[in-house]
Amino acid sequence: MTSGRMRQGAILAAIWAALIFAPYWMPLFGGYTALGTRVLAIGLGAMSVNFLLGFTGVLSFGHAAWFGLGAYGAGLCLKWIAASTPLGLLAGTLLGGIAGGLLGALLVRRRGIYFAMVTIAFGQVFYYIAFQWSSLTGGDDGLRGFARQPLHLGFATINILNDATAFYYFALLCFAIVVGIMGFILRSPFGHTMIAIRENERRARFLGIAVELHIWIAFTLSCFFMAFSGALYAMVNNFADPRMLHYSLSGDFVIMAVMGGMRTFWGPLLGAVVFVVLQDYISSITVNWMSFIGLMIVAIVLFFPRGLLGLLRQRKAA
Amino acid sequence: MIDLLLFNATNGLIIGAFYALMAIGLSLILNLSNVINFAHGGFLVIGAYLSYSLTPYLGFWGALIVAPFLTAAIGFLVERLLIRRVYGRDPLYSLLLTFGLAFIIEDGTRQIWGALGKPTSIPAFLSKPLSYQFFFITGYRLFMVAIVVLAIAVLFVLLRYTRAGIRVRAGTLDLETVAALGINIRTLRSLNFAIGIFLAGLAGVLASGQLGLEPTMGDGLLMPSFIAIIVGGVGSLNGTLLGGLMIGVAAGLTAVVFPSASDAIMYVIMAIVLLVRPRGLLGEEGMLT
Amino acid sequence: MSVLRVNKVSKRFGSLVAVSDVSLAVEKGELHAIIGPNGAGKTTFFNLISGFFEPSAGTIEFDGRDITRLAPHKRVALGMARTFQITEIFPELTVFENVRIGAEVTAGFGLRPWINAADQKTVHDRVGEILKLAGIESKADRLVGELSHGDQRAAEIAMALTLKPRLLLLDEPTAGMGDQETYEITRLIRRLHRDSKLTIVLIEHDMRVVFNLADRITVLDQGKLLAEGTPKEIAANEAVQAAYLGKAA
Repeated sequence: MTSGRMRQGAILAAIWAALIFAPYWMPLFGGYTALGTRVLAIGLGAMSVNFLLGFTGVLSFGHAAWFGLGAYGAGLCLKWIAASTPLGLLAGTLLGGIAGGLLGALLVRRRGIYFAMVTIAFGQVFYYIAFQWSSLTGGDDGLRGFARQPLHLGFATINILNDATAFYYFALLCFAIVVGIMGFILRSPFGHTMIAIRENERRARFLGIAVELHIWIAFTLSCFFMAFSGALYAMVNNFADPRMLHYSLSGDFVIMAVMGGMRTFWGPLLGAVVFVVLQDYISSITVNWMSFIGLMIVAIVLFFPRGLLGLLRQRKAA
Repeated sequence: MIDLLLFNATNGLIIGAFYALMAIGLSLILNLSNVINFAHGGFLVIGAYLSYSLTPYLGFWGALIVAPFLTAAIGFLVERLLIRRVYGRDPLYSLLLTFGLAFIIEDGTRQIWGALGKPTSIPAFLSKPLSYQFFFITGYRLFMVAIVVLAIAVLFVLLRYTRAGIRVRAGTLDLETVAALGINIRTLRSLNFAIGIFLAGLAGVLASGQLGLEPTMGDGLLMPSFIAIIVGGVGSLNGTLLGGLMIGVAAGLTAVVFPSASDAIMYVIMAIVLLVRPRGLLGEEGMLT
Repeated sequence: MSVLRVNKVSKRFGSLVAVSDVSLAVEKGELHAIIGPNGAGKTTFFNLISGFFEPSAGTIEFDGRDITRLAPHKRVALGMARTFQITEIFPELTVFENVRIGAEVTAGFGLRPWINAADQKTVHDRVGEILKLAGIESKADRLVGELSHGDQRAAEIAMALTLKPRLLLLDEPTAGMGDQETYEITRLIRRLHRDSKLTIVLIEHDMRVVFNLADRITVLDQGKLLAEGTPKEIAANEAVQAAYLGKAA
């Protein structure tokens, strides 16, 4: 028990150390700071998908919609309403989270593969809107003409706009806060009911848990987290485009969660690191990167369904 | 105005027939194997390109007949080699597997046939309008609808009157009991998958004559097929047919008044159906939900 | 007043009538067994009581309140807990975690995204108490999925106990168990009945268990009520003997 706890503490410390010192060690492996920031935002998205998939057992295959809405919300706020980074993040989070929560109420009675199908289809609604409503969203070309703003703290100004390293640390702080909230919820009684529903919905119901209500809350929370990561992502490149809402990005997020290990808290972050770096690398060396990604997905499904961290755990148990 | 309405309604019906053809294939696979085939659009593309490559040797009619069967054969192999490994596992894995397959098929098509679109030719007598007043009703469009109607009619007859068809329908309702009766459900599922893919291949051949060839031509048809299934009710092929036609016509008619919303209307229909009748128009209670 | 009163319920699935016109009254503190040959509709009847299905006809009252169409989780909130014929547990969690979920939900913390130290202690104490009552406190940190069948059943009953049930429904608690395990579970049920004064309705195949435990017995056959009475009356009932012997022949 205590040695297990110590090991957990050590792993946690290693993860945070790696994240904190990323701007210093990444260049040694050919990485660059903006890539690190991108991985943080995408990784947070994968962890948000997994909050629902891995811990409530509910498969949404349309979560890119909330990610993309977060991105557009942030972009539109920065462009038209208020040139403030925190307000942009807030606007994006609210837009995606509220839209997701409203739609979630329509969906919570569906289960399994049917739930996945309905989330895909509804997710595409927002893709179409972003695509068609070009006067607001820039259509297929994407939304441009906004930029994250320096942070004014009263006593000091941090220029996260031009200083990539400062922006990385800002993103890391955001990441830490959201991940902290997720971890806190998962340890709470509500988190326990989420896991109960994942493990055995019938038993949960006959323990007096209002399953639909709990799924809806978990879904909505996950949408808010997702929208936040999308808002953060929009600020990495100061850009948002309809592909950020498309179901194929939803699929990418699910793959990251599964690849890293969906029954683990940190797995999806690892999955995101591998996926983003690999995609970056493969698309730079071959035009057939889609086949590689496709083959990788097939291989994960057939041979490593428990993901990288799941694999490690199994080995430890054996 | 009447002409315009008629034009768009006809258009919608033709598109709806297409959606239905795709959706019924998807629905067959979903019902018996509990797999959402993300790669369905990919198989449509395979059918379309195969017919393109076969036409110089077999002619239009030969390709029309042979290409869907070849596509079905590929589907059969894919089921045997890959899909069946995820039966009985969390639906997550079948979704991801076919998602990955769709990537591979799209890229493979690009590799074999090139990334640029290809022109297609159809027999001259089919491309002429039938009358001057209804110029939009070309022979090819009628022909497409006729083939779709024929294919669906044959499928429904097979499902109703052949032994395999009856087993497929029984398996949709209660697969365990069918298995317990000593029926080989592995073979049944392979066959059923191949039939579903046959329909996708056929849709591909027909679509290529109307829309031309592109490696991504299946993408636009996948989402409407999902919606047709949801609107019609999971588990009901009649529902899927109805759903497909309905959203096609609705999209056609919306194009008259508000062209940019013609894609959105099917999502509105889906939302209304889910609110008012969550199991879908013809769906059974408790079916897969 | 009866804790549970079922008035002439029926359940039809299409043309199949699974339960027809069955009534049942369970008094406070009573242990009531439901028996009957296979396919008699016992589990369907149970599912009607616990809210898994809604009856096609008839009414169900719990503590004088009509619950015929109440959702399952609301029946739980009123104090009705059940176990299943095939054990329903959270296999990848420990025994402690399994039981804790019930304790937290019952304490009204189910929707809370946080928990303070005092509440946490209350919950932990309650879980400890119940694990002891169920006789599985030594296995608290084991994964439930790894336990023996008998211990899994005890854990399931422990989960039901966290709900402070005014009525405990047990669906074939000794199904698929060996003699030793059957004995352990029977002892546990007797303890709950005699010492904790719980009102219990159970479906059971094993006649030794039934005649050993039950205050009253209801016999179902082909979806209909065949007989109702004390174990002595049931043992002497000719219709019951005919139903069982008829099946055996």
